[in-house]
Amino acid sequence: MTKRNRLKTLLKKIRGKEGNIIPVLRTVPIFEGLTFRDLRKIELIVHERTFMPDEVVFYERQPGTGMYFVKKGLIRLTKTTNGERVKIAELGEGEFFGEMSLLEEYPRSAQATAVVKTEALGIFRPDLLDLIKRHPRLGSKILMRLSKRLANRLRKTTEMKVKEAE
Amino acid sequence: MERSEFHKSSEAFEIVTIGCVLFGILLVLYLIRGLLTPFIIAFIITFFLSPAVDYMEREGLDRTLAVVLLVLLTLIILFILWKLTWSMIQTEITSFQKNAPFYISKIRDSLEHAMKLLEKKMGIVPEGTMQKAMQQKIGDLISSAGNLGFLFKTVRDFTVTLVLTQVIVFFLLKDGRRIRKALIAYVPNKYFETFLNLIHEIDKQISNYIRGQLTSAFFVGVLAIATLYFFGINYAIFIGAVAGIANIVPYIGPLLVLTFGGLLVLIDTGSTITMLKAVGILAFVKLLDSIAISPLAVGRRVHVHPLMVIVVISVGGLLHGMWGMLLSVPLYCSMRVSLRILYRGFVEYGNW
Repeated sequence: MTKRNRLKTLLKKIRGKEGNIIPVLRTVPIFEGLTFRDLRKIELIVHERTFMPDEVVFYERQPGTGMYFVKKGLIRLTKTTNGERVKIAELGEGEFFGEMSLLEEYPRSAQATAVVKTEALGIFRPDLLDLIKRHPRLGSKILMRLSKRLANRLRKTTEMKVKEAE
Repeated sequence: MERSEFHKSSEAFEIVTIGCVLFGILLVLYLIRGLLTPFIIAFIITFFLSPAVDYMEREGLDRTLAVVLLVLLTLIILFILWKLTWSMIQTEITSFQKNAPFYISKIRDSLEHAMKLLEKKMGIVPEGTMQKAMQQKIGDLISSAGNLGFLFKTVRDFTVTLVLTQVIVFFLLKDGRRIRKALIAYVPNKYFETFLNLIHEIDKQISNYIRGQLTSAFFVGVLAIATLYFFGINYAIFIGAVAGIANIVPYIGPLLVLTFGGLLVLIDTGSTITMLKAVGILAFVKLLDSIAISPLAVGRRVHVHPLMVIVVISVGGLLHGMWGMLLSVPLYCSMRVSLRILYRGFVEYGNW
């Protein structure tokens, strides 16, 4: 083993194992490019939840507190239109939903239900606000990425509306 | 039909289970109530110190290192304070020890006189009954205070509580978030978000209240000691410290201190003018606290109507004595915010 490799192994031992949350966080766009130290801080506010088939993650109109990442399994998003439940999307591994609730407490616009046994990671607004207060630099990075994502979505919606009007 | 009935019965089962779990937690807490004191003190200290740790963490320090530094710093400050005030405290203790029999006999004489008068006025109680009961109580007090075994046990219990509290504070400051996260992992998915919100709101209410009250109490204590000492009142440290601690209990605490401080000075000196001087100083310090210290230190505190505070503290005192009085307001605020969140979640959004 070379000196460099030995040093790397030692550093890895000092900073500890990645566990099973950090690898998932690395795949989430709003945490892209964050360092291991930053991800360790985020890991502390991430909650692991397991949902059984047909179990509701959150209901439509329920006050939203945070977002979820699908670690394993499948989530179905549905919305009630004219008294009927309509499927909007199905989200698999690595996808996330409910990010708007991280910024503001607002009734959920759709219902999320687990299709199969699903493992999800949740980040919630009170914890995020606490993290921003303690680590403002990391907080601003997360908020910047979140804002970019929401801006993208807004741009797409505007383009769609313009096309519809044409 | 079966499905809706099944849902109804499973919801009922859920409510019963939650009720049983809550009852179990309360029962366990009641059974181990004797061991709770260091935990309660540690929680209060943790709430008070956590902003300092958060600040150091924000400045780039590792949390564990920040906690170690803070604990060391607190110990150093306490040691310096102890060194600076020990000779004064010793003088007060010696003087109190010397004068205690005189104070007790004076209190006994005045109480006996009052009882005699009361018995005469009431006319129903046989003469000497109340006096005898009171003499018995005072006798018990003197014998227990002079009992070496009792004193040794008190000192030992206090030391154990102090060491245990320090250890708990260290781990609560360092791993509080991890502990909370591990505990709420057991909350069912259905109630998770509501519960998380609840925990954060309660945390905010309690920590704001405790920080504000402790900061205000610290300033009141220091100011009272300095002013009483400056005006040459005996037992300045003792009365000032009691004034600081009692200031944690709103409204009722300062009133009790005025009475207690005034009586102690009156018994000690026998001079009404000195007594009025001491009461005036304590009232002035409280006034200063209400005008300048409290609005700054307790500015973000939860707003509760003064009448409600008095009712809540009285009920707390009635149910659990000193601890009840100290913790009743933050508990009331927590219950208020919990009901608000639960009402909004379950009733307004129809999500029960």
